[in-house]
Amino acid sequence: MTVSMTAARAGVLAALLATAGLAAAENSAPDGSYQALRDWIAQAPEALQPGRTYTAADRAALEAYLPRTVWQYYFFDGMEMEVAPTAHYPTPDNWKMDGSGDYRLDEHGILRGFKGGGTPFPQLEESDPQAAVKLIWNLMWRPGEHDYDMPMMTWLRSENGKLDREMEYMSTNATYAIGDRCLVPGYEEVKSKRIMEFRSPRDMAGAKDMQVVYVDHDREDSGWLYMPAQRKPRRTLASERTSELMGMDMIREDLNGFNGKIHENNWTYLGRRKILATVNVKDNPEMGGPHLWVPNKARWEVRDAYVVMIDPKATDHPYSHRILFIDPDSYWTLWMISFDRKDDQLLRFAQHFTKYSESYREETPQQAPYLNQDFTKNLGHHVFLHLGENDINAKKPHATITHCFVKKRVFSEARAQQFYSLRNMISGRR
Amino acid sequence: MNFPRATGSLALFACLNLAAPPGAHAIVTLGDNVELEGFVNVQNGVRQPNFESADLIMQRNTAQVEGKYYFLKDSTAFGRFDTGRLEEATFTFVGRGVYDSAYDIRESWQDAYSRDGHHPGEIDFKLREAFVDLLLPPLSLRLGRQQVVWGETDNFRALDAINPLDLSWHWTWESWEDIRIPLWMARAVYDVGKLGPFDESFVEAVYIPWDVQHNKIATDPRRPWALHGAGLTENANTVIANGRVLDLDMRVRDGAPSRSFENGQAGARFKAIWGGVEFSLNYFYGYSADTGYRLMPNTSGIFGNTYRADFVTKNPRTQLFGLTANYSDETYTQAVFRMESVYTTGTPVSIAPGAPRSADPDGDQYDEARRMVVMIAADRPTWIHWLNDQRTFFLSSQFFWRHYLDWNPFMRGIPAVSEAELNGTVLPGRFISTNTDRIDENEFVMTFAATTSYGAAGLMQPKFVFAFDPRSTGAYNQIGFDYLVSKHFTVRAQQNFFWRMEGRSIGPWELGDLWGQSNGNSRNETIVSLIYQF
Repeated sequence: MTVSMTAARAGVLAALLATAGLAAAENSAPDGSYQALRDWIAQAPEALQPGRTYTAADRAALEAYLPRTVWQYYFFDGMEMEVAPTAHYPTPDNWKMDGSGDYRLDEHGILRGFKGGGTPFPQLEESDPQAAVKLIWNLMWRPGEHDYDMPMMTWLRSENGKLDREMEYMSTNATYAIGDRCLVPGYEEVKSKRIMEFRSPRDMAGAKDMQVVYVDHDREDSGWLYMPAQRKPRRTLASERTSELMGMDMIREDLNGFNGKIHENNWTYLGRRKILATVNVKDNPEMGGPHLWVPNKARWEVRDAYVVMIDPKATDHPYSHRILFIDPDSYWTLWMISFDRKDDQLLRFAQHFTKYSESYREETPQQAPYLNQDFTKNLGHHVFLHLGENDINAKKPHATITHCFVKKRVFSEARAQQFYSLRNMISGRR
Repeated sequence: MNFPRATGSLALFACLNLAAPPGAHAIVTLGDNVELEGFVNVQNGVRQPNFESADLIMQRNTAQVEGKYYFLKDSTAFGRFDTGRLEEATFTFVGRGVYDSAYDIRESWQDAYSRDGHHPGEIDFKLREAFVDLLLPPLSLRLGRQQVVWGETDNFRALDAINPLDLSWHWTWESWEDIRIPLWMARAVYDVGKLGPFDESFVEAVYIPWDVQHNKIATDPRRPWALHGAGLTENANTVIANGRVLDLDMRVRDGAPSRSFENGQAGARFKAIWGGVEFSLNYFYGYSADTGYRLMPNTSGIFGNTYRADFVTKNPRTQLFGLTANYSDETYTQAVFRMESVYTTGTPVSIAPGAPRSADPDGDQYDEARRMVVMIAADRPTWIHWLNDQRTFFLSSQFFWRHYLDWNPFMRGIPAVSEAELNGTVLPGRFISTNTDRIDENEFVMTFAATTSYGAAGLMQPKFVFAFDPRSTGAYNQIGFDYLVSKHFTVRAQQNFFWRMEGRSIGPWELGDLWGQSNGNSRNETIVSLIYQF
């Protein structure tokens, strides 16, 4: 009896020691580790005073609201963060938010029968075992995801701000699945179509790609690439999503936070976390920091984000974990942070800059350097518009900064049919 | 003298840099509606025959300006005129000036070309392309001097046969965009969309009213990329007939169709997607871009000590019937498969001198053949982590089979010049032309290309190209490297290798079997280019 009592105590002691050891390991985890971010997420921050500008002197207060993983990039001498009061941003009047409709999630987490025009899962139960995938479906069918002309500028920068490349291009896209009807009748299988065309540099000028995304999530996108040097379109493969895009510090799966397939990942809902994010910015943010990689003097807001963890099933996927912070009003990705499968250290992260369409009434952001657009067309849509993002590869290290200059566009049925067509891909700028 | 197969040849990839990033600066804009861009390319080429010496063959300086004028937007022309259903219109031009200073730098070439007054290195300026795009949905039109490319092949003359090629200065080893000869034509595309089981369908028509041109080939053996067969780099000047040594007086009359409305060319295709398979049906009625040489038996013959050979060039009427398809297999192979099959009539072919009447009824050493080409290919972005753990390699491979439907054993390919001999004695300064290059009924070639990019921003872009003819065992390798130094400057280095595994027969594809000869004529070369782009 004594022996067994001693053994039991020893077991408990060993368990306690092991727990203590684990805790010690967590506390000493480097900033860029997966575990450090999980620890940070688990913290409940004290309130941050809105309506004032924070500087490097306020780091202690800001640390609670900026993911621990990115501190090394966002805290620097001269930093300024204007923190605006948290606001609520209503969706369009005709946007369905009642969750009604003849659609469902199947056993693999795939959304079946949804036709757009609303948020598929507006009411989320945090205890729902499918909460994570439901959030991703809300992200993938978020209001204002498409239907715009979007000139873009992208800068690829090494450390110390060295500019490696600069690109100009234009994305135009339209939602086909808009609820009870399709934008172009007869194309009910299509979720959206997009054409993106490069304007510069010259060796890419006129290169354009068309992507067709389907309502059926099991169906891979269709894509074509027109290269001026070839003078004809070329069919492209959609299912390779893990290679860096054109030297940029992102992979195709990173687009908008997550641009992959549900069934290729395991999903975990990590709860809500208040976080600073660049939502409803005044303008395309100026970039600062020692490398010009992060927004400076921008307007931030504290958002009570949904946190979703995505673990790729494929053992050769570069990520062990990808963590998304998703805006509760718009379902836009605020932050995407991914970790290297080799060591669970930070590999890439992205922060998105968005602006609410109705704020264009009071403050108009800058125009694209090469195109003037009528931004008043953005009013009345009640959606967030993408003003850009930074994508940082911590291991290179290197960054891609993109500014978007969005103008909402309503496509007619006839125009969409003509524009988003293979016919339009057989010739180009030259 | 017959080079009929020359431009039916394969040319190898100016590789798709699908994985490669761009590297230059913004377009120059004039006002709201005019954009200008372009480049200056200083291209230096050194040939290393058998890697035993080095020979400057190219110092080509190119300036290209490309412009676009948006004169009609949103159904309003010049900002004031309502154009109704005509929604958009633009004018595009591409102008190019070229000066190859190698012809002035090399003393031997200065002497050679100054004698005959023909100077290939002279400054040459051309308005290569000039067209208007008009959009009247569902119809779009492109009118003017332009390039039109059909088909699924990369750099192979099967369906991509509407524009001829300028092969005179660097054969097919340049981007075909830069060596196609643009033609004045009208191109109309009518978008159909969904049509029964077909998706994304459209009909395209091309009409070339008068602008008949053919491939440009240099035959002067002094030109670095002249096509002069597998023999010596000399012009034939002798015929040996019945033991007699005769001077050769060869005359070539231009029999190519004139640039007139009666020689119009036209074609059409229907393209659509059916069950995930994108396909097209194509037809083109035109002229062969390959030039054949027909002997005029009535005026050719022995006159005293001279053998007079009268040839007339022929670019026969040709018809192309083509089927193409591609399919993106996302599930099993993660590859895009391509297929192209073309039936062609009117391909000019040489017939061996002295061929029986059954093979050459007219005795003109010339015939027109029907051919079939089948190409299958696969493209795949592929991870090779031990070579690049940031980005995939874009791998592309093609296999071609070309079949002569009315083949006969007297069909001949590329002639060769050799020293004239009489009774075993070499006759100094005398050269004869013979053609023992028998065309094979079935011809094959396969290609492989790989590209990727390195560096934090992908500014270093290597490429590897390989082509192989299994019958002749002729091969070609290209190892290229682009470094995007800055926003404006790119340095491009390229090494071309021509080699063969074994044998002496010449294949039809102009690879190492022809240009990897060990007789001092091998064309291995290094090309270094400095490119400024804006």
